[in-house]
Amino acid sequence: MNAAPRSAENGRAGAGPGDGLDWAGHLAQFGRALRERGVRVALSDEADGLEALIWIDLSDRDEVRRALAVAFKIRPHDRAAFDELFERLWAPPSAPKQVSQALGQVTRQRSGGVRPAAEAIEVDAASPSGEELGYSPDAVLRKKPFDECAPEDLAAMENLIARLALRLATRKSRRLVPTRGRGAVDLRRSFRRALAHGGEFLALARRARPLEQPRLLVLADTSGSMDPHVRFLLQFVVALGRVAPKAEIFAFNTSLVRITPLLRPKTLAPGLIEATLARLAAEVPDWSGGTRIGECLREFVDRHLATRVDHRTVVLIFSDGLDRGDVAPIAEAMRALSDRAKSILWLNPLAGDARYEPSARAMAAALPYVDRLLPAHNLESLERLVPHLSL
Amino acid sequence: MEAYGYIADPATATALYLSREMRRPLLIEGDAGVGKTEIAKVLARLLDTELIRLQCYEGLDVSTALYEWNYQRQMLRLRLAEGEGKSGAEIEDLIFSRDYLLERPLLRAITRPTKAPVLLIDEIDRADDGFEAFLLEVLSDFQVTIPEIGTIRAEHVPHVVLTSNRTREIGDALRRRCLYLYLDHPSFEKEVRILHLRVPEAGARLSAEVGRFVQALRGRRLQKTPGVAETLDWAQALVRLGSDHLDREAVEETLGCLLKDHNDLHDLSGAALDETLAVATVATSGDAGSEAIEAIGGAA
Repeated sequence: MNAAPRSAENGRAGAGPGDGLDWAGHLAQFGRALRERGVRVALSDEADGLEALIWIDLSDRDEVRRALAVAFKIRPHDRAAFDELFERLWAPPSAPKQVSQALGQVTRQRSGGVRPAAEAIEVDAASPSGEELGYSPDAVLRKKPFDECAPEDLAAMENLIARLALRLATRKSRRLVPTRGRGAVDLRRSFRRALAHGGEFLALARRARPLEQPRLLVLADTSGSMDPHVRFLLQFVVALGRVAPKAEIFAFNTSLVRITPLLRPKTLAPGLIEATLARLAAEVPDWSGGTRIGECLREFVDRHLATRVDHRTVVLIFSDGLDRGDVAPIAEAMRALSDRAKSILWLNPLAGDARYEPSARAMAAALPYVDRLLPAHNLESLERLVPHLSL
Repeated sequence: MEAYGYIADPATATALYLSREMRRPLLIEGDAGVGKTEIAKVLARLLDTELIRLQCYEGLDVSTALYEWNYQRQMLRLRLAEGEGKSGAEIEDLIFSRDYLLERPLLRAITRPTKAPVLLIDEIDRADDGFEAFLLEVLSDFQVTIPEIGTIRAEHVPHVVLTSNRTREIGDALRRRCLYLYLDHPSFEKEVRILHLRVPEAGARLSAEVGRFVQALRGRRLQKTPGVAETLDWAQALVRLGSDHLDREAVEETLGCLLKDHNDLHDLSGAALDETLAVATVATSGDAGSEAIEAIGGAA
């Protein structure tokens, strides 16, 4: 190797772990400072860091930094924060006081690494109505903007949504599982069966692809500006829940509330969604006091990300992106989400207008992390969503 | 590592060193073409050991990754044994023995008798998460249980390198099990050194201009950013055409080696090409690039 690493003897001599200094404590403090900056460093990573220090030349500051980056598994978007904190805080533990003082001064700052993703924007406006050839009440309904729907349209709309949602139940996984009847021959199992029959292949075991249900996570903005739309989206999502039971639904406004238990698809009665929304408004203090997208997303990331989102999860965010708050938490939370989720779809009812530009500050801050920005102003736009859900 | 055709930066060297000493798998992430796979190959040459490669893809399953029975041989043996009048239990013992086992990469990696091999698990991000969980188990214990035979323990724990193009996030559990290295595209100096090492026929001027051209390209928004492998291909193509420097004609003829996307090729014609070419061919002497070349030439 050209940057010849120290031999083990070398690393263990000198002021290494085992020299009586509190390296573990120092590492733990450094780890905590990283976590406060939003870098995910686990206890096991700190243990790895301590072990790595055994093997390197501790007097070479650059090598210590490189080794800790390897042991802490620092990913590119956290690299700047890591380097900065290392520069500021890392000192040999011979001077513990200074270090802890320095660590005490760490304040929450946001790192600004934003991945470019302008091409991820996809604003499909509804196609011109001149395309329709025959007349059908469904076809009209499908294009009718949600905020123009009369009460008598609602029942028909709900029916249509339920039919639409059924189409989702068709995604196949690529892994093969045992099956009866059809599929590719599974030699291993066929052979074992044949053995039971004295070596005769009486029946071949087969494998085929199982159906795999998409996992959905819905974050729905229920602020006043979203009122006409949110009801339909939730209707749609709950209908999806009948075929994809793994849907999680959160409503947010001034705070974040998990409403999955309130909207169990099996108990879905007409009007349940409206009742639920009304209940939220009545029970959550200051519910309609203006949207705080950033804080709500951050709360989601802090409290639910690890348990509710994995790399099979498609995240649906339903919001017009109108928010007067600070936009920095939005970018930060969106980055954490996009790191973990399979994809993020942002449904914006305003995007149904061909002239719409995602210029609202909150929307613009979130955009780099959004895989698709889609309109959600009528049924047809929800219908177009389906292929994206089973990506 | 340079003697083995690889220019390692200190970060890579430290990561490899720690992975070896701490006996932990090394997870390398980075764009396609930054040389992730190459690291494993060089490591195998460096340790003078076998490289066992498992290429991941969606739907990869245990019978492709770990082991499979050799059914044809089992069948034949079965018929033979029947003729010999052996009992069912005897036959079963006979045909489910190591002789009839086909070792796939993971099993092969832990059964090498003489020396720990390098196990390259390439593009782990393409495998599905079921496989990831299975892999986690193998990488924790380095032992494999085959129902018909029993547990096989690693004789020599292999040096494991995993690579990922980040098409999806690797699960936390697997990530925590590994040490981690992120590889970026090489700097200009490093890329020119790589060119010097791998395509020595390209002179100092051509190498520097190729290096600058590629660096300038990476600054543009492209569908497929060229990696080191593309740079080397391109330099080789230019050498074949007898170029000792970049000019528009030679570049246009050979750009397909570098840009492998129709839209990128289209975007980089006309003015954009001239512009990039101008950046690449600025001063042919006295600038930082050729100084670097000279320094390397002197050192080599």
